[in-house]
Amino acid sequence: MIGAYEITLVAVVSINLMLALGLNLITGFCGQVSLGHAAFFGTGAYAAALAAGGLSLPVVLVLAGLVACALGLLVGVASLRVREDFLAITTMGVGFVFLGFVRKQGWLGAEMGLTDIPDHGLGDIGFVGLCLALVAAMAALSWHIKRSWMGFGFAAVADDERTARTLGINAAAYKLAAFVIGTFLAGVAGAVYAYFTRFIIPSAFGFTVSISILTMVIVGGVGSIWGVVAACVVLTLLPEFSRVINDYKLLLYGALIVLTMRFAPGGLAGLVRSLVARRSTGGAP
Amino acid sequence: MLHVELVLQGLVNGSMYAVIAVGLTLVYGLLRILHVAHAGLFTLGAYITVLITNATGSLPLAVAVSAVTVGVAGMLVYRLLYEPLLDRPPYVALIASIGLFICMEEGYRIVFGPYGNSFDTMQLTERINIGPIGMAAADAAMLVGAVVLLTGLGLLMKRTRFGVAWRATVTDPAMARAFGIDTVKVRYVNFFIASALAAAAGALVAVLNNLVEPTMGSVPSYKSLAIIVLGGLGNVGGTLAAALLLGVIEAYGTIYAGSFLDRDAIAFVFLIAVLMVRPQGLFATGRP
Amino acid sequence: MRRTLQRLALAALWLTPSAALAQDVVKIGFHAPLTGFAAADGKSARQGAELAVQQANAAGGINGKKIELVVYDDEGKPENTIPLANKLTGQDKVAVVVSGGYSGPTRAAAPVMQRAGVPYLSAYAIHPDITRAGDFIFRTGMMGEVQGRAGAKLVGELLKKKKVVIVAVNNDFGQALTAGFKEVAPKFGIEVLKEHTFAMPDRQFGPLVAQVKASAPEVIYAPGYFFNAGPLVAQLRAAGVDATIIGQEGYDSQRFIEIAGKASEGVIVTTSLDRDSSAPATRSFIENYEKTFKDRVDMVAASGNAAATVAIEALRKAGSTDPKAIRDTIRAGTFETAIGTLSFNSLGEVKKAVQVQVVKDGNFHRYAVIDDLGFLAPPEK
Repeated sequence: MIGAYEITLVAVVSINLMLALGLNLITGFCGQVSLGHAAFFGTGAYAAALAAGGLSLPVVLVLAGLVACALGLLVGVASLRVREDFLAITTMGVGFVFLGFVRKQGWLGAEMGLTDIPDHGLGDIGFVGLCLALVAAMAALSWHIKRSWMGFGFAAVADDERTARTLGINAAAYKLAAFVIGTFLAGVAGAVYAYFTRFIIPSAFGFTVSISILTMVIVGGVGSIWGVVAACVVLTLLPEFSRVINDYKLLLYGALIVLTMRFAPGGLAGLVRSLVARRSTGGAP
Repeated sequence: MLHVELVLQGLVNGSMYAVIAVGLTLVYGLLRILHVAHAGLFTLGAYITVLITNATGSLPLAVAVSAVTVGVAGMLVYRLLYEPLLDRPPYVALIASIGLFICMEEGYRIVFGPYGNSFDTMQLTERINIGPIGMAAADAAMLVGAVVLLTGLGLLMKRTRFGVAWRATVTDPAMARAFGIDTVKVRYVNFFIASALAAAAGALVAVLNNLVEPTMGSVPSYKSLAIIVLGGLGNVGGTLAAALLLGVIEAYGTIYAGSFLDRDAIAFVFLIAVLMVRPQGLFATGRP
Repeated sequence: MRRTLQRLALAALWLTPSAALAQDVVKIGFHAPLTGFAAADGKSARQGAELAVQQANAAGGINGKKIELVVYDDEGKPENTIPLANKLTGQDKVAVVVSGGYSGPTRAAAPVMQRAGVPYLSAYAIHPDITRAGDFIFRTGMMGEVQGRAGAKLVGELLKKKKVVIVAVNNDFGQALTAGFKEVAPKFGIEVLKEHTFAMPDRQFGPLVAQVKASAPEVIYAPGYFFNAGPLVAQLRAAGVDATIIGQEGYDSQRFIEIAGKASEGVIVTTSLDRDSSAPATRSFIENYEKTFKDRVDMVAASGNAAATVAIEALRKAGSTDPKAIRDTIRAGTFETAIGTLSFNSLGEVKKAVQVQVVKDGNFHRYAVIDDLGFLAPPEK
């Protein structure tokens, strides 16, 4: 029995999946840790909220993606200049500047937010179909990239940028590509969010969103598409299913992250790999 | 007159940032871990200070207990969480640290309640006037406390055997070990000092605001990351300068740029601008 | 072996199941931020609502049926509130829903409730869009702009002061109150010298205090929450600023007085709860709340209680759980609650007086009541 509850839950999970798959391209495949993914998500959402009144849904989705990846390109250029932890903190800064800017802009509704975003016109089932189709397309894109020459370039940059460069790999181009594609996906996710809630407020795109998306990617197992998908689904639904323990659910969430990192630093993908390996060799000595 | 006060208030805020961030930079310098849970230890220090002061009536005793307890807690965090992850990519420890920080905030909320706690009798409510310049005693305590703590830290680093061992371990752990330095002990002492400083910062903030809350570490958790990056990751002197500078910039920004950017955004616009010009932070790192 | 066990245990943790039980009771849904930055307000709102349910159950429930409060944590997040709102209406089959949450989650839930045809009462969220979602949506708390107007009337007419500096929390609450205040300020000859904002997590206001001091206002109008207001008021007084400070319902917690200490004396707030009220509903709420939870009442608890009381009374008067009957009962009725006598306009906005309280000898006391309902009238559409 599929009711409105399940449908909206699938929508929430799908939006997080789009965000996680996008960040997985940047952080997982290309090794550029970003603590500001919510800024691109928010950029897409605001672009969609402004455009949805006059344009059709497919156009709005693409437009939101493009606006977000324009900002992503800027940050990508910055990533050529600062590295590693410096880059992580710079992207975090981008998130805060985005939020601080939007909060004060009257034309973006400031703190009251943008409202009256038109209905998507697809109906409940149609909307969920759209969400799932977008997630599938993004997962397929990720899979394709991973197996292509571009995926090889990403992995080389992630592994050791200096070595990659000596091998004649254009590290700068790959980093830019990762940021552009990853933030495009975040922008699309933002548009879907805008159609889903039909109003947006700045605090929906804060630092904690960036953190939770990054957590999904790392806990899933950096670079592993199915691992990230699994972690994203579980971490999004965990608070939902632990509502019985309202008071402790965030504690459980935090503890799960700590325990996973402590005992399975390779994330879910690593955890499963090691369990499978153990079974096939007949268990531990 | 307004400008004197703005600079002073900026320095008060900056010294709060400095005491928190300097512990963070000590950890980073040694282990290259972005220790987000440091802000959770800061909160713990604040809670212990308020609760023990209320139980015993003695603020100095409470601060001492808080510093020692939180120092030990910091060592435990290192032993139980970070040590096993040292040979992993840095983001593993970062996410573990974020998870721990979430657990700590939730733990404080569940144990101490969401409303926050205050001192039974407010501490340092007098006002100090030097000529035309006036200052709340709590603000002055923050400034003086920061100067004392950081001078003490400076002396420890320059004048003692631990300081030599610390610097040697930061520069080249293998070489340090070859010279007979117990690098494991250095790490434990390092975490103790860094965490005790966080506790002291928590105590000072508790006095300043007369309020400790489960979420009081959320702003320091990211703001102090920005500061240690600005100061050139792992550079203690650079961190101090960056903290004070940021305090003053935020003070001016709040008044003159507040209508189009909020306080955090002002701080990060500055951070991004600096990093675009100097990708290694304001001051080159002490690490080769 | 130990490692494998560890890993298996970890894998098992990832598959935590859930369970739910259904009973033959009347269910009232409730959501509030029980975790996160607004957890303090979430706890108060929840306790207020729980008290209303306990008392109703002790008095025999609704037409013999016990009431069950179905409580969810909205975490202050709009997107998470949409599924839980659907769960309340679809899975839990609640008869009425009370929001003890902020504007973001409440705005997200309102259209869901409207579509499902479940009456929805917002206890203290301030955003104007909430009730515009439709005829099943009501607000028992004050709209932000209404309270802002009351603040201006208090300053201009009751205090007869003119020069004001506004220092507001940077979120929808602060923005809405500021807008309401400024909308009617000229009518009372009030001049706004300067306007500043601070972020919700801010506790250090040194630079703002220095600037306010330089502006030398007669009154500081400062929308914010008790955790901002406590340090802000203490720091203003410590800096020697002696202008009258006007707060609003966000200040209305004993915690404000504990944090600010002596500095809180003389601070005047516009709120919903009259501590010196002789109305039986208010007196009984204050006494029972403090007895049950061993804590002082605050505005949020009173608002949560009031919204739940309206829900329970409407169920009782309607005599059924037919949503349309409940909706019509709320719309037509008058309700005695902890925050006074409530009735609703055509949009579902509450019509009630604004309480003005002053801090005196460490407690909130009545200063005045603004009951010019024409002046306070919320919009009808």
